[in-house]
Amino acid sequence: MTTERPRHKWGMVVDIDRCTGCEACVVACESENNEPISEEGHFLQRRAMEWIHVQRYWEGEFPEVKARFIPVLCQHCENAPCEPVCPVYATYHNNEGLNVQVYNRCVGTRYCANNCPYQVRFFNHWEPVWPESLRNQLNSDVTVRSRGIMEKCTFCVQRIRRAERQAAQDGRELKDMEFQPACAQACPTSALVFGDLNNQDSKVSRMAKDQRHYKLLEELGTGPNVIYLKKVDVNAHA
Amino acid sequence: MHTPSGNSHQGTVPSTPQEVVRHGLERMTSAGPLFRGTVIVLGALFALGIVGFIIRASQGFDDRLPWGYYAAVFGYFLTTAQSAPMVAIALRAVKAGWRRPVARVAEMWTVVGVLNLLWFLPIMALVPTIEGRRSLWVTRPIGAPHAWDLLVVLFLAVCGLGLLYTSALPDLAAVREKGSGFRQRFARTLSSFWRGTRLQWNVLYGGIALLGTFYAMLLVFGHALLSTDVAMSMVPGWKDAIFPAFHALSGLQSAVAVVIVTLFVLRTWGGYKEQIHVDQFWGLSKLLLAFSLLWFYFWFSGFITFWYGRAPTEQVLLRYLYFESYRLPFLMAFFLNFVAPIFLVLLWNPFRKSILGPTLAAAFILVGTLFDRIRIYVAAFSAGDPFADALEHVPAAHLPGVPDILIVVGGLAGAVLMYMLAVRLIPVMAWWELKEGLLLRRVRPFLRRHMTVVAKPD
Amino acid sequence: MQERVELSHRQINQELLAANLKGPRWWWLLVPALVLVVMGAASAAGYMYNRGLGVTGLNRPIFWGIFIVNFVFWIGISHAGVMLSAILRLSHAEWRRPATRAAELLTVFSLMTAAMFPGIIHPGRPWRIYWTFPFDFSRGIWPDVRSALIWDPSAIFTYLTGSTLFVIIALIPDMAVLRDRTTGVKHVIYRFLSLGWRGTPRQWKLQIVAGILLSALLLPVFVSVHSIVSWDFGMAVSVEGWHATIFAPYFVIGAVLSGVAAVVTMMALMRWAFHWEHYIRPEHFDALGRLLIAIALGWFFFFSLEFMFGLYSLEGPEVSLRQMQMFQMPWGALFITFITTAFFIPITLWQFKRVRRNILLMFLISILVNIGMWLERFLIVVPGLMRKQPLTFVWGGYTPSPVEITLVVASFIFVALMVLLFAKVFPLIPLFDIKEGQVLKDEVQVGRVRVPAVMREE
Repeated sequence: MTTERPRHKWGMVVDIDRCTGCEACVVACESENNEPISEEGHFLQRRAMEWIHVQRYWEGEFPEVKARFIPVLCQHCENAPCEPVCPVYATYHNNEGLNVQVYNRCVGTRYCANNCPYQVRFFNHWEPVWPESLRNQLNSDVTVRSRGIMEKCTFCVQRIRRAERQAAQDGRELKDMEFQPACAQACPTSALVFGDLNNQDSKVSRMAKDQRHYKLLEELGTGPNVIYLKKVDVNAHA
Repeated sequence: MHTPSGNSHQGTVPSTPQEVVRHGLERMTSAGPLFRGTVIVLGALFALGIVGFIIRASQGFDDRLPWGYYAAVFGYFLTTAQSAPMVAIALRAVKAGWRRPVARVAEMWTVVGVLNLLWFLPIMALVPTIEGRRSLWVTRPIGAPHAWDLLVVLFLAVCGLGLLYTSALPDLAAVREKGSGFRQRFARTLSSFWRGTRLQWNVLYGGIALLGTFYAMLLVFGHALLSTDVAMSMVPGWKDAIFPAFHALSGLQSAVAVVIVTLFVLRTWGGYKEQIHVDQFWGLSKLLLAFSLLWFYFWFSGFITFWYGRAPTEQVLLRYLYFESYRLPFLMAFFLNFVAPIFLVLLWNPFRKSILGPTLAAAFILVGTLFDRIRIYVAAFSAGDPFADALEHVPAAHLPGVPDILIVVGGLAGAVLMYMLAVRLIPVMAWWELKEGLLLRRVRPFLRRHMTVVAKPD
Repeated sequence: MQERVELSHRQINQELLAANLKGPRWWWLLVPALVLVVMGAASAAGYMYNRGLGVTGLNRPIFWGIFIVNFVFWIGISHAGVMLSAILRLSHAEWRRPATRAAELLTVFSLMTAAMFPGIIHPGRPWRIYWTFPFDFSRGIWPDVRSALIWDPSAIFTYLTGSTLFVIIALIPDMAVLRDRTTGVKHVIYRFLSLGWRGTPRQWKLQIVAGILLSALLLPVFVSVHSIVSWDFGMAVSVEGWHATIFAPYFVIGAVLSGVAAVVTMMALMRWAFHWEHYIRPEHFDALGRLLIAIALGWFFFFSLEFMFGLYSLEGPEVSLRQMQMFQMPWGALFITFITTAFFIPITLWQFKRVRRNILLMFLISILVNIGMWLERFLIVVPGLMRKQPLTFVWGGYTPSPVEITLVVASFIFVALMVLLFAKVFPLIPLFDIKEGQVLKDEVQVGRVRVPAVMREE
C-alpha cells in the first residue's frame, strides 16, 4: 500500500441516554453485513450473530425497577487484547484505528474471542444459511463467511471505503457525517454517532468531550474507540 | 584438590567414632585470636545497629516510610537464616549420604529465629489494619493480621530451636561425657536423660522427621503469609499470586547459599577440613544451580503475566518495582541471584565441582537476596496509602539514611554473632550422623578398581 | 524392607522379552477392539469436520471447552516421563530402573495425543492449522510470535522430539538383544533399529552420556512446555480467573502430580498384564507413593495460593466465579469431587505404608488423582470463561456434547492402544537398566543385620 491516505481515527459515540433498546441497529447490522439470521435456536445455543447487540440490565428492586440498555459493539480498541494473541495475524490494527479481521487468514483458534473482554467476537459454529426468500438480499460489498472462522463488527469498513473512493473521485476531502455505518444510520434516536476522532470539528469528537463520557471496562487499559455517554436519570437522588 | 569421583577420599575422614568426637570437642573449645577478634567486631557492629534502631524509634512508629530498611532485614533473616534448616530437613528426608557433615551446620541457623522474633515486634506497630484494603485475610478473623503473623514467627523460632535441640541431643550427651567446664554443665543440663537406648533413638529419629516436616511446612506458610502481610498487601493494586511462592523459593535458594558459605568458613578457618569435603560443595552446588534457575523461572512467570497483560495498574507496578524507582536493587538482585551464579560459575563443571566456585556463587546470591529484599520491603513501606485501589503514579524510591545503614549492618552482624556463639555450645558437626555414616560405608573391589558402597536402611 | 530378587541375565531376557517374542494371547483380542473404538472416534471427528463446530457444546462466551481441557490434561500426563526419568537418573535413585521407560513412553504418546486436540480437533479450520508454523512461504505472512499459540507448538514439538530421542537412546541396547534373538524380517528390523550396537565400552559410554545430556536438556524444556500451556490462559487479561501470575508453576506441579500418578497406573497394569512381579515390586510403589506425597503437598500450596489470590482483591467477577465454582450446582459437586480425589483422599491414604505397598490400592488411588486433575483443568478453563468480566448480560453456560465426550474418551483409548502396540515391538522395561541394577546391588553388614546397599554410580 503506497497510496497516501489521510490519517483517520474512526470512532463512535453511544449516547445511552438516547437509547431506547429498540434493536433497529441490530437488524440493520445483520442485513448490511451478511450475518446469518439469528433464530430462536441460535439464541438458545448462545450462538446468535449480532455484531452489535443491546445488553439489557435491570436496576433497582421491584416495583422500582428500571430497564437499562447498552448497545455493545466491537470497541476497536487502540490496545486490543484480541490482536497479539492471534497466531496467524488474522486480526490486527490498521492505521485508521480499526481493529480489522481478515477472514481468509483465520484458522479458528478462538483465542481472540476469549481475550475480548467485551465479548463482541463471534464464531461461525455452523455454515451460514439464509432462507430462499432472502437469497438476493446479500450485500455484494461484504464477504460471506464460512464456518470455522471468527467475525465481528468492522465499523462497516465497506462504507468507509466507498465514501473514500467517492471523495477521491470528486477530488475532495471526506466530509463529517458524509456516511454512517448501518447501525448509526438506522438508529431512530441518533444514539449512535460515527465519525473521525482525529478531526476536532467532527460531531463525534465534540460529543466525545461531553462530561458524561466514559469507556467500557476502562481499567483494563484497552483504549476503546467507542465512547459512551452516561444516562441522565431525572429521578436520581442527588 | 578435587577428586573426579567420590570414592578415593575414604582415608581423609576421621575413621573411628572416638576420633570424630575427640576432634569435634577440640574444635569446639579452642578459640584463636581470629575468632575472638571477629566476635568483638561483630559485637561492636551489633551495638551500632542497636543505636541505629534507637534513633529510628525515637522518631516514632506513626510514619511507616523510614522503617523500610528495618523491615527488609526482617525479610532477609526469614529468607536466609530461618530458611537454612530446610537444607538439613530435605537432605535427611532423601537420605543423601553426603549430608552428614552439612545437616547441623544448616540447623544451627535456627538460633537466629529468636533474634527475628524480637525484630518482628516493632513491625507489628507499622503494619496497618486490614480493614478497607486488600489482604490475604478474606474472612477477617480476630487479630488478623498482627497476632497471626506474630504467632507464625514465634512458632518458627520455637520449632527451629526444638529441631536443633532434638538433633543435637546425642552430641550434647557426648559433650556431657567427654567435655569439661561450662560447656559440659550446659550439655548436662540439656541432655541428662539421654542414655542412647533403642527407644530413645527411635523417638529421636521420629522427632527429627516430625519436627522437620512441621518446620518445613511452617516455613513455607510463613513465607507466604509474612511476605503478603508485611510487603505485598501494602502496595495498592499489587495482586500477584506467585509472589509468596517466589519469596519462599528465594528462601530455598538463599538457604543453600547460607549453608555453602558457612561450610566454606568452617572449612577454611574453623578447622573442619577433614570433614567438609568437595562432595558436600558439589552436592549443594547442584541444588544451588537448580534453585537459581527456578529463581528466574518464578520471577519471570510473574513478570511476563503483568507485562503481557498490559493492564494500567500492573504497568505502574512493573515500573515501580523493576524499571524506575527500584531499578538499581532489582538489577543487582537479577544479576547476583541469577546471571552471575549461573553463567559465571555454576554452568561450568570444573567450577561447580570445586570448593571456591560454589562459595563464590553462594556469596553472590546472599548479596543479591539482600538487594531483592530491600527492593521488596522498602518498596512496600514507601508506596504511599495502602488503602488506595491502585497506584496512580510511580512513587519515588526511598533511599537509606545513616540509621538505616547502621540497622542493616548491625542486624546482619548480630545474626552471625549468634551463630558463632552457638557453635561454642553445640557441636556444629552432627557427630552421631558422621559416626552412623562410618558404619554404613564400605569400600569393595569391583572389577579392577575399588568402589564405595553406601548402605541405605529403611 | 527392600525385597530383592536374584535374577540371572538369561531369566531377565526371557521374562522381559516374552511380550515381544511370543506375545500374550489377550493382546490379539484387545488391540482390534481398541482399534475399533479409535476408528469410531475418528468418524465422530469426521462428522464434526463435515458439519462444523456447531456439533459441540461450544458457544459464546465458552469458546474453549473440554477439547482444551483434555489438551491440558494430556500435556500434564506427559510430564511424568521426564520428571521421573531425568530427575531420578540425575539423582541416582535406584528404584527408577523399571519405571523409566514406562514413564518416557507415557510422555511421548500423551504428547502426541495432546497435540491432536488444539491441532486437528479444536480449531475451526483444522485444515489450515499449518499456518501456525513458519512454513507457508508463498503466503508471505509469518506467524505472530507474540501469540501464546505460537509458543505452544514450538514447545510441544521440541519436547516431543527430545523425549522421542530419549526413548530411542535407551532402547538401543535392548534392540541389540532382540536382534540376536530373532530371525527373518524381524531380525532385519531389529538389526536396523539397534544401530550397530555391539556393547563396546565406547558405545556404552556414549549411550550413558547421551542419556545424561538429554536428561539435563529436557528438564528446562519440560518446565517450559507446561508453563507455556498455562500462559495460554495467564496471558489473557480479559478473563479474570485466568490472569494469575502463579499459573505457570501451578500448572507444572499439577502436571507432575497427574503424570506421576499415571505412571503408577501404568506400572500396576504392566505388572498384572505381563506378570512382571520380579521387576515391578511393592517397594517401587512405596517409593512412588512417597514421592507423590511431596508433590501433592507442593501442588496444594500452589492451589491454595491460586485460590486465595482469586479472592484477594474481592472483585465482582472473581468472587462470583469462586462462588459458582464452590456452591453452585453442578460446579460445586465437581469442585468437591476434584479436591477430594486429587488431594485429600490420596494424601491421607499415602501416609500409610501398607497402602503404599498395596498395588491394587495404589492403582485405584492413582486413577482417582487423575480424575481430580482432569476436573481441576475443567474448573479452570470453563468457569473462568463463564464469568469473564463484569458485563453480566453475556455470562453463559456450557454442556459438552456427545461428540466432544466421544473424542475425549477416545483419547484415553488411543494412548492405551499406542502403548500396547509399542509393547508388541519393544520391551516396556529396559533390560540393560535392570541388569545394571543387579550388578551394582550389594549388602553391608552392620552389627547383626545386613543392610541393602548399592555401589555409587558416578
